[in-house]
Amino acid sequence: MSLTITCPVCGKRDGYEFRFGGEDKGPRPEEDSLTPQTWCEYVHLNKSVAGVQKEWWVHKDGCGSWFTIYRNTVMNVEVQESEACR
Amino acid sequence: MVEIKRYSPVSFKASPKRTEIRDNFTVVLEYEGEGQQPFDPSNSKDNYIVDLSHITRFDVQSSNLDDITPFGIKIPQGLCESYLQDSVLINRMNRVQASIFCLPVKKDESSKECQFDFQCSCDSDCKCDPKKSSAYTETTEVGMCMAIFGKNTFSITEKLTSLDFLDPVKKTPFLYQGPMSHIPCQIITLSRDGAKSGIIFTASRGYGKDMTHAIMDAGAEFGLKPAGEDRFKSWAGSL
Amino acid sequence: MVTRITQLPTLRIDPAQKVVFDYKGKDYAGFKGDTIATALYHNGVKIFGRSLKYHRPRGLYSLDGECSNTCMEVDGIPNVRTENTLLKQGMKVKEQNVKGSAENDMMGFIDKLDFMMPAGFYYRTMHKPAVLWPVAMKQIRKAAGIGTISPDFEMPGRFEQIFPSADVVVIGGGPAGMNAALAAADKGLRVVIMESRPWLGGFFDYRTVDYRDSEYKKNKQLYIRAKELASKVESHSGIRVFKHASVVGTYTNNLVTGFQIGGEKDNFTERYIEIRAKSVVVAAGCIERPLLFENNERPGVMQVGCVHRLARTYGIIAGERAVFSVGHDLGLEAAIDLFDLGMKILCVADVREDGQNPYLMIELAKRNILLLKGWVVSEAHGSKRVKGVTMTTLDGTISRDFECDLVAASAGFTPINGHLTLAHAKLRYDSHTNFFVADTMPERTYSAGRMLGLEDSLSIEVSGMLAGLKAALECKKFYDAGICKTSDGVANSQESINQLSSEIDTVTAKLKELPGTARGSKFVNAPVKGRKSFICFDEDTTIKNIKQAVEMGFDVPELIKRFTSAGTGPGQGGIPGHNLPLYVAKYTAAKNSSSGSHPKPTNVRPPLVPTFISTYAGRKHIMMKRTPMDQMQRADGGVFRKIGVWERARYFSNDFSCKKEIENVRNNVGMLDGSTLGKFRIHGPDALKALQRVYVSDMSKVKAGRIKYSAMCNDDGCVIDDGVVIKLGENDYYFTTSTARAGSTIEWIRYHTRFDGWDFYLVNLTDSMGVINLSGPNARKVLQKVISQDNDASIQDVSNEAFPFSGYREFMIKNTIPVKAMRLGFVGELSYELHVPSSYMVSLWNMVKEAGKEFNIQNFGVEAQNVLRMEKCHIILGQESEQRTNLLDLGLGFLWDRTKKDAKTIGAAALRHAENDPTRFRLVGFKMEDNGRAPNDGALIVDDKVRGYVCTARDSFTLNEAVGMALVESHLAEIGTRLAIFEDECKGELIYGKVVPMPFYDPDGRRMKS
Repeated sequence: MSLTITCPVCGKRDGYEFRFGGEDKGPRPEEDSLTPQTWCEYVHLNKSVAGVQKEWWVHKDGCGSWFTIYRNTVMNVEVQESEACR
Repeated sequence: MVEIKRYSPVSFKASPKRTEIRDNFTVVLEYEGEGQQPFDPSNSKDNYIVDLSHITRFDVQSSNLDDITPFGIKIPQGLCESYLQDSVLINRMNRVQASIFCLPVKKDESSKECQFDFQCSCDSDCKCDPKKSSAYTETTEVGMCMAIFGKNTFSITEKLTSLDFLDPVKKTPFLYQGPMSHIPCQIITLSRDGAKSGIIFTASRGYGKDMTHAIMDAGAEFGLKPAGEDRFKSWAGSL
Repeated sequence: MVTRITQLPTLRIDPAQKVVFDYKGKDYAGFKGDTIATALYHNGVKIFGRSLKYHRPRGLYSLDGECSNTCMEVDGIPNVRTENTLLKQGMKVKEQNVKGSAENDMMGFIDKLDFMMPAGFYYRTMHKPAVLWPVAMKQIRKAAGIGTISPDFEMPGRFEQIFPSADVVVIGGGPAGMNAALAAADKGLRVVIMESRPWLGGFFDYRTVDYRDSEYKKNKQLYIRAKELASKVESHSGIRVFKHASVVGTYTNNLVTGFQIGGEKDNFTERYIEIRAKSVVVAAGCIERPLLFENNERPGVMQVGCVHRLARTYGIIAGERAVFSVGHDLGLEAAIDLFDLGMKILCVADVREDGQNPYLMIELAKRNILLLKGWVVSEAHGSKRVKGVTMTTLDGTISRDFECDLVAASAGFTPINGHLTLAHAKLRYDSHTNFFVADTMPERTYSAGRMLGLEDSLSIEVSGMLAGLKAALECKKFYDAGICKTSDGVANSQESINQLSSEIDTVTAKLKELPGTARGSKFVNAPVKGRKSFICFDEDTTIKNIKQAVEMGFDVPELIKRFTSAGTGPGQGGIPGHNLPLYVAKYTAAKNSSSGSHPKPTNVRPPLVPTFISTYAGRKHIMMKRTPMDQMQRADGGVFRKIGVWERARYFSNDFSCKKEIENVRNNVGMLDGSTLGKFRIHGPDALKALQRVYVSDMSKVKAGRIKYSAMCNDDGCVIDDGVVIKLGENDYYFTTSTARAGSTIEWIRYHTRFDGWDFYLVNLTDSMGVINLSGPNARKVLQKVISQDNDASIQDVSNEAFPFSGYREFMIKNTIPVKAMRLGFVGELSYELHVPSSYMVSLWNMVKEAGKEFNIQNFGVEAQNVLRMEKCHIILGQESEQRTNLLDLGLGFLWDRTKKDAKTIGAAALRHAENDPTRFRLVGFKMEDNGRAPNDGALIVDDKVRGYVCTARDSFTLNEAVGMALVESHLAEIGTRLAIFEDECKGELIYGKVVPMPFYDPDGRRMKS
């Protein structure tokens, strides 16, 4: 409840306006040369860092933007302002 | 024979006193017992809610919004900034998107299209006439639209949302995209000036009934009452 | 009946206004401003209830709700904290946890059986033999808890919520808090101050000693100073005061939650308050640390502040003959003041040998009050209320008895730290103040006043001012760094920040010149064994219980708290919060010198103050979407259900098998409100690319004038959505999604293209278009009649050739209503879907209805549609699929285009992998054997294991047999396989079906396509 997230469009807002979109794992891999193993790792394997991680959020009740933030997963606080992203 | 009529998603428990058929909508100009006539927005103690769901609205999206000039007006540069010129309210939603509201401002006019005479002179690649350019989508039907104004406007909103309408770094008019009564809304604060305070907002059309109920319930202690479009015009005209 | 002093400047009651209430069926009267507890005390009620475990009599103790002693049933609501609840006319008050009455409780004998109930006895006994437990559990459950509530209880009153916006929240409306609020508000910031009592003033409010303002050398009494500050605060335009409002939670990012109790003029009973501040000042003050001695909770034993405030605030002299046992100067001050108000004081014992304020010593001597230094009360006598006490020296060598009816007992003070620790402050035990003090503070949070250990009134005020300025500085910095900064916002130039910083330096220096933190009284407990020395009143935990827990090997206070349940009651840390860790530290150190004796505080959790669930719930408006047809369908007899975010007409009669609705669609024509479908426009140069990414089919093949059915998968190849796509122009499409996906489609598409930087634009048109589904053999005739009203003759032809299956047309009705028409066949009949602007939908619906009258057009609802499409084996996602069901399982593999690898279609990689996986489920159709009934949806397909489940099955009126679809393991998917079906509560009676070809109805699609 106490989490706040800084949306690159709307500014700092209550966390419950947002939806979590997972850790940042980079763009989708090319389909050729993809093995079930590497695909599964891309989709499902998470680092689950106890500390600061870069992750995706969407401002679902607001402007609808997807963007990344850095969040301390132990304290559940945003530690750095978001990178502007569409 | 079925008569063609358009219906607003919002209805109030009040009796219309004067109405007008506009573009098949029955627009209420005044309700019974609205109070204070003539209405002086800067000296009113009352709080009003007006259904504006019939007003024309557009969505415009482009990677180059600077080029787009709805009705010849420039879209504000700053994110979440709004710009009101005559009857056109333009809100910058994000880097590539803006919303346009055609407000009923001028008292004498009630034309069918956007409430003023706009003549587009573009030939092929039009960027200013929402009816011509494909960058625009008409969104009149997407949402209900209401205005709340009066000195207790923000005492009512603080019962419905944690959004900070009185944030001193913001300059009116400005846009909030956020939840009100848990429903995502676009809320434009037009004034924070005492009795003239007021907002205009839209949310999904389907929530019309429940949203009206929630707002009327929150506003009851401040005597929030439904008003017709004329009262909105007097208020908006005073800004 | 206790007589009241009705003429005191500090009174908070109005003796002129009587308030009549009902206590146990009899009328009693209190005054306006009384709490329920003070009114009862005034009427001679000393025992308010019985304790949780031992049924010991309990009475007024703290006046601030620090323990459950005075919890009672009020107007049917159990566990009302009567000390904090203002008396209202006509209230009905009852005692709790008694058999008989609080005065004569038949369960009172349990107190003598305490030796049978050592710490944690219910964990350690009654589980051997195992059969004992269910029996014992029932008895314990019956005995456990105080207060009862009936299952159909409905909370009376109006509950609201409010989210005030503020820069600074000040917790506590005492002298420090008020100064903090004024300091911050004077800097132009928006300040909210929350005070749990119904008035501002804190511990200045009832005190009459002199306030020495060193600047003006003026003498005034503290309560006058409090009033002065309060009126300044309440008239300041930048300060918003919430009185009678307790803070229940403080969180990171300066989120403060609380609730306010409504006064006479408020339109709410209670309201939940949630504030996201930029900075927080905690000035919550202190509570008294209970003195530990035998029977330390006997009615008649009270905290010093309680006795003092009863007199000064409520005009009640709490006893005829009083004994004081204190450990701090405020105790001495109270004794002097109460003596002057007419209380007979037999003696004042002070645990301190020295260090008393000399001024107070003189005053005591003047009044001939016996002062025993280094003495403490060791036992209270009297079975139901105090009749006397034994006083002893700290070492227990000398003792002396007094006959009395009031013991004002207090060991010292302890800061209210909950607000800090909830927000993750780390506490450290400070041996000078004997307080737990915050070592590291939460971000942008400052504390002030007594909780720092300050006692001097001017120091307290200045510390508040300092905290307020620091909070103001944080806000200014925040505004300076604000990302939505505009040119002419708040005056937040570097200059004002520098100015503020230097002001903070000045005040810091000023505070240094004033008296600093006071030496706090050490932990003392009377020299007794502690069998009846209660450390926690709520849970009846004694010193002996703590010793037992330590003997059993517990050494951390947090664990001892769990084991003995000390501090887990409604008062949370109130009564035991300080004593428990100190006692544990002392006792463990005594037992084993190697185990450190650093006291470790226990945790508190929100809510810090007991809060009604109703208060959290607030107005609880149900927010549901309604289609444009809502009212008309209700008028037509629609039975509505909440389906997702929508209210939808599920049936149109009370026959939930929908026989008539179904038959009418099959034989004539029906109309369904499909407005809840997700509807979107996507446009922009890269619109097609985006569609290629999310849809499994090749979307470049979408032709103008045709509709394309396709599906969306997730990264596992599991189907999440299906719908149709229409090309409006180059890179301009209109598409539909299922009702459930409408809310998340834009988010989904943007997420899966977030790295590509494509230019495409989405508009959610879901609510803007109403959808009429017109289905049945007569649908064309109806449409023909409706469309003939169009002026353009060229599009009036709706023949199968002109408007074929999968066709798309646009037309205008009467040159006014624009309609997007699609030829579909979800229910397996000739069928049109008409998309029309929502505001026009009622008009078009009426036209269709009128045109269809001669063809016997009828409404049909969502359930009829469900059966109709099931007969045709058209799937509904979520019904024929769950999270693990992929495109191939459903037999929809034909939708998937494998050649568009460059599109990186979502799900394609996983589908390729799943293609040859024999372990996957298959969707099959089945019918029941021997004309049997349909199984319930969700029934299991079994042999010796679970092999699948029934998705949808119904007794089909069209086919005259029970049919359905099921997801089964692939080896059961062969036509003709017998399926054994297990239903909930079938008691082993399986029913059987047989796999048959799909679809069941109109297999070659002639009805749908002609």
